[in-house]
Amino acid sequence: MIKRDYQVLAENFLFFLNIFILFLLIFSSSLAIPQWLQPFGRLHPLLLHFPIVLLLMAILLELFRFNKKFINEPLYQNFTNWVWLIAAIFAAITVMMGLFLSNEPGYEGGTLQWHKWLGVGIAFNATAIYWFRNKHWYTIKIVRGSLGLLMALLIVGGDYGANLTHGENFVLAPVWHPEKKKVAIDKALVFNDLIEPIFQEKCTSCHNPNKSKGGLILVDEKSVLKGGKNGKFYAGGQPQLSLLLKRVHEPEQEKEHMPPTGKPQLTTQEMLLLYLWVKENAAFNKKVVDLPQNDSLRIIATNFLKPNDEKEIHFDFGAADEKVIKKLNNNYRTIYPIGQGLPALGVNIYNKKTYEPKVLEELLDLKKQIVTLDLNRMPVKDAELKTIAKFENLQTLILNFTDITGNTLKELAPLKHLNTLALSGVRLNSDGLAQIALLKSITKLTIWNTGLTDKDIASLKANNKNLAIITGYKDDGKPIKLNNPQIGNTNFIFADKVELQLKHPIKGVELRYTTDGTDPDSIKSAIFKPGTYINNNEFIKAKAFKAGWLSSDVVSFNFYKNAFTPDSIGYLAGPNDKYSGDGAKTLIDKDLGGTNFGNGKWIGSQKDLVIYMQFSSPKNLNTVTLNCMRNIGSQIFLPIGVEVWGGIDKNHLKLLSSIKTPIPLKDDPLLLKGMECKLNAGKTISYLKIIAKPIQKLPSWDPVKNQPGWVFVDEIFLN
Amino acid sequence: MEKDILEHRLQINRRHFLSKLSLGLGSVALGSLLIPNLFNGIGTGSDEDFIPGIPNFAPKAKRVIYLFQDGAPSQLESFDYKPKLREMMGQELPPSVRGNQILTGMTAQQKSFPLIGSYYDFKQYGESKAWVSDLFPHIGKIADDICIIRSMNTDAINHDPALTFFQTGAQQGNRPSMGAWVSYGLGSENKNLPAFTVLLSKGKGNGQGVYSKLWSNGFLDSIHQGVQFSSSENPVLYLNDQDGIDKRDRRKMLDKLAELNEMSAKEFGDPEINAKIQQYEMAYRMQSAVPDIMDVSKEPDDIVKMYGPDCLVPGTYAANCLLARKLSENGVRFIQLYHQGWDQHSNLPKEMAGQAKDVDQASAALVTDLKQRGLLDETLVIWGGEFGRTNYSQGKLNVDNYGRDHHPRCFSAWMAGGGIKPGLVYGESDEFGYNIIKDPVHVHDFHATILNQLGIDHKKLTFKSQGRRYRLTDVAGNVVKGIIA
Repeated sequence: MIKRDYQVLAENFLFFLNIFILFLLIFSSSLAIPQWLQPFGRLHPLLLHFPIVLLLMAILLELFRFNKKFINEPLYQNFTNWVWLIAAIFAAITVMMGLFLSNEPGYEGGTLQWHKWLGVGIAFNATAIYWFRNKHWYTIKIVRGSLGLLMALLIVGGDYGANLTHGENFVLAPVWHPEKKKVAIDKALVFNDLIEPIFQEKCTSCHNPNKSKGGLILVDEKSVLKGGKNGKFYAGGQPQLSLLLKRVHEPEQEKEHMPPTGKPQLTTQEMLLLYLWVKENAAFNKKVVDLPQNDSLRIIATNFLKPNDEKEIHFDFGAADEKVIKKLNNNYRTIYPIGQGLPALGVNIYNKKTYEPKVLEELLDLKKQIVTLDLNRMPVKDAELKTIAKFENLQTLILNFTDITGNTLKELAPLKHLNTLALSGVRLNSDGLAQIALLKSITKLTIWNTGLTDKDIASLKANNKNLAIITGYKDDGKPIKLNNPQIGNTNFIFADKVELQLKHPIKGVELRYTTDGTDPDSIKSAIFKPGTYINNNEFIKAKAFKAGWLSSDVVSFNFYKNAFTPDSIGYLAGPNDKYSGDGAKTLIDKDLGGTNFGNGKWIGSQKDLVIYMQFSSPKNLNTVTLNCMRNIGSQIFLPIGVEVWGGIDKNHLKLLSSIKTPIPLKDDPLLLKGMECKLNAGKTISYLKIIAKPIQKLPSWDPVKNQPGWVFVDEIFLN
Repeated sequence: MEKDILEHRLQINRRHFLSKLSLGLGSVALGSLLIPNLFNGIGTGSDEDFIPGIPNFAPKAKRVIYLFQDGAPSQLESFDYKPKLREMMGQELPPSVRGNQILTGMTAQQKSFPLIGSYYDFKQYGESKAWVSDLFPHIGKIADDICIIRSMNTDAINHDPALTFFQTGAQQGNRPSMGAWVSYGLGSENKNLPAFTVLLSKGKGNGQGVYSKLWSNGFLDSIHQGVQFSSSENPVLYLNDQDGIDKRDRRKMLDKLAELNEMSAKEFGDPEINAKIQQYEMAYRMQSAVPDIMDVSKEPDDIVKMYGPDCLVPGTYAANCLLARKLSENGVRFIQLYHQGWDQHSNLPKEMAGQAKDVDQASAALVTDLKQRGLLDETLVIWGGEFGRTNYSQGKLNVDNYGRDHHPRCFSAWMAGGGIKPGLVYGESDEFGYNIIKDPVHVHDFHATILNQLGIDHKKLTFKSQGRRYRLTDVAGNVVKGIIA
């Protein structure tokens, strides 16, 4: 029978294959696979799918082979037999190819060994089943046993194979991430936590002890330093000579480009990180935080690493009862959760007057949960440290400016988590110093203004190397300049006399002043005392002095005497609408305008400003003074002329005074000046007309030459 | 507000009810397809996730002190060292550098854009080797405690919108201020003081206004509004008892008033009524807490030397810095300072020297002072203006007298404490100081980062108003990881 002949042929082929596999296994170490056979070996990952499917089919058919329905069905029986034969042959061929492939360089290690022996097991097992399945002792029990074994071999062996081709944990990787925790930056090592994870993610599926393509393994320091068959993996400090970077930066279509096309590629950040790692040639145990702050590697590292103690702070205690928190919370004791879903609490205590030890004792209901306690400026005594020591999870404790002596600080030693302690403003002595040294868990200590000397601090530092000590500002003893004297007077215009109110914000300052226009000095000039009065127009210059300080700048103030106030005032020729203040009375409101001409206290005009004043009873006037502004940049000049007319009423006026001012120069500074007109009247006056004339054609150097200028007056004084 | 009242009456509104009803397992399954990380425990950003008063995660910073330099100080005379501009002084700004940047009305008509380098020299300070101009020697000395960001950028080119953008995350000015958001998000640490306070000072330089809208609560409860502390005899207006009323009378009056208010709260359910009750109570407690804090007379001499003697002159920037430290020490969440006078369109070298003198020593002292009290770890200090200034001169150029116009594309700011990496210079501008070439930090990113340091996920800090949810960062913002320690 033809059919029969084929079967015999196939059976012989299967037998031969099995013998050949045995041969390959025994002599594998001394065999060299000829190059022309290599492509055959490399077909292993393709062909292996056939035996898997065929064997699964055979197993299924075999299971129902003794079923009454099929036991006498020749087609079923024959077909099953053939499926077994073909499956066994394919399994054997696949194993043979696999053995060829495994002899190529780059395949070694545990995973390969397991896969090899399991694969061989599958082929032998399948062959054995085919051979013995028609024996009389081949009962259903044996069927189940051998099928179970075969199934197990297929699954486990297949999985090892997948790991070889696609990398460790290929199948479950998308859903199962074994402990890929980001490391906090302060603990991270450059290699272990920055570089190695890149290798693990993108390189080690082909460069591991099981499958070391190019002889390169990238699993640890040793293997990375060793390099591959093409030489050293990288040249420290010389990125341009490093094979790693060359391969990484090769165009993607190039054969040498790594990772190979089709595999997950490196991101730009990762490439940059590798570049910087090679460039800086960092030691393998170098910490990220040991790099300089502005180091590129360090800056990029922050994107990869977890900030010091970020979001997922873990607390191993439970949350407190909300009701307890609510009950203990009051206006001067704030209890707040650190964050949503976190059991930890912070507590701030306020108000010296309501503080008492009980405020802390009551908090013992929350002794597990409180991690931050702020007692800034509270009159906390040494005894309360015992209470505080019971907050077992306390991390931050602020005791600035409290009344503790520091001599019992060791009470805090049981607080294993206490890392931050602020003692600024607490008077500490050598006893206190010794006590601080006993608090081993502290990493940050604030001791500004505690009286500790540099020597004390050095000894603390020597005692605990991880301790960061903040000492704060120290007065270097260099004198600094005093700020200027201030004037308390709000009104610089007076009728009779006024008290001079000089003051200075710093205690113990001596204020000296002059009235003659000279700068005050620290010896001769008058010392200001409260109760000093000014009786006349006075130009005061004042300066502050204090031992140990540089003296202040000189400040000056004008005081104006104004003996008479008219009973009515008005414009005859009005000012500009924009600068009309609060009507003409602005000119006698005893409120000076300062340097800002737009503040409503200044009256401005581009035409002659004509003002009248009336007195109900005649007055004996000697002077009329117009306080005017000069601000060249804004075209404000002193009036080029001022005329004062007076008489008993508006119909009987005489020119009593007329003054003129020269045209200013381009660079004349801002000036406030009282333009004083002496009246040569000698008689009493009931009506005054005052004319202030602005320049009608601005000088040629002015940007708006030939236009009229401005005249600005803020106050008129009559004496 | 009306909706809250309505909801109180109906207990539940229609849309809420219907949306609850239609949510079945099916929509959850669909949701997991559309939102891949639905089951990963990462929130989906709905406001249900947000519990006001508790940080989303353990924060680095508990408080913020924002030293706002109002008017926009020039980055080129402060923290962004550009020697190239001195070399090229008087030469035209290359059009390729300017690109499509729009200009303000003040220089748009200018025919020439002559580059001008800093009138002041720069020095490198500290281990970080940060470049700081000679105008800020004290800030230079704390270079290793601060993180200088040279790559800030904003959308607005004029003061008011830019300032409003920095303060509220929007340019229009009806949104809650950052301090109000923080107050809403984290609540008050000290129930005797407002969570958000404001301090103003003014330099001699050309100034721009600051308005109370900048510390507004917007649509949040009015309890989150910034409280301005003034330098006058009454630091908080209307806080003191009227003549003839003593503490006991006030207590009685408040108790009675609270009763009445509670009655109407029950009747109308208007949350503003409850806010009002709380405000009255806080004001009562502030009566004793505030004078204590405002009293700087007990500060020792070395503190006065550290901040500069002006810290004893009420209303100065130095005094406000000292107050900011005291307020912060007492648990005020957000302290907003404004120092006006940084708008140097002309006369820059002289005016800026004056401004710098106002702020340099006290800003540095504040950082040092917090540090020496162990508080810098939990307090975030921010220094910066609303935008930067151009690298070319506005108006006529003299070596010792020039001006700079507004420049939103690139400017500098610094932060200290609160879990920000110290001794870092972050971001980089081109050699003209005009464009950012590395690590830009937009205003939204800046906000996201500040909130992150406070333990708030900026995507979760939301409030529903007029039918939509609002965030400080709108729909943008990324936490700037590179500056986080």
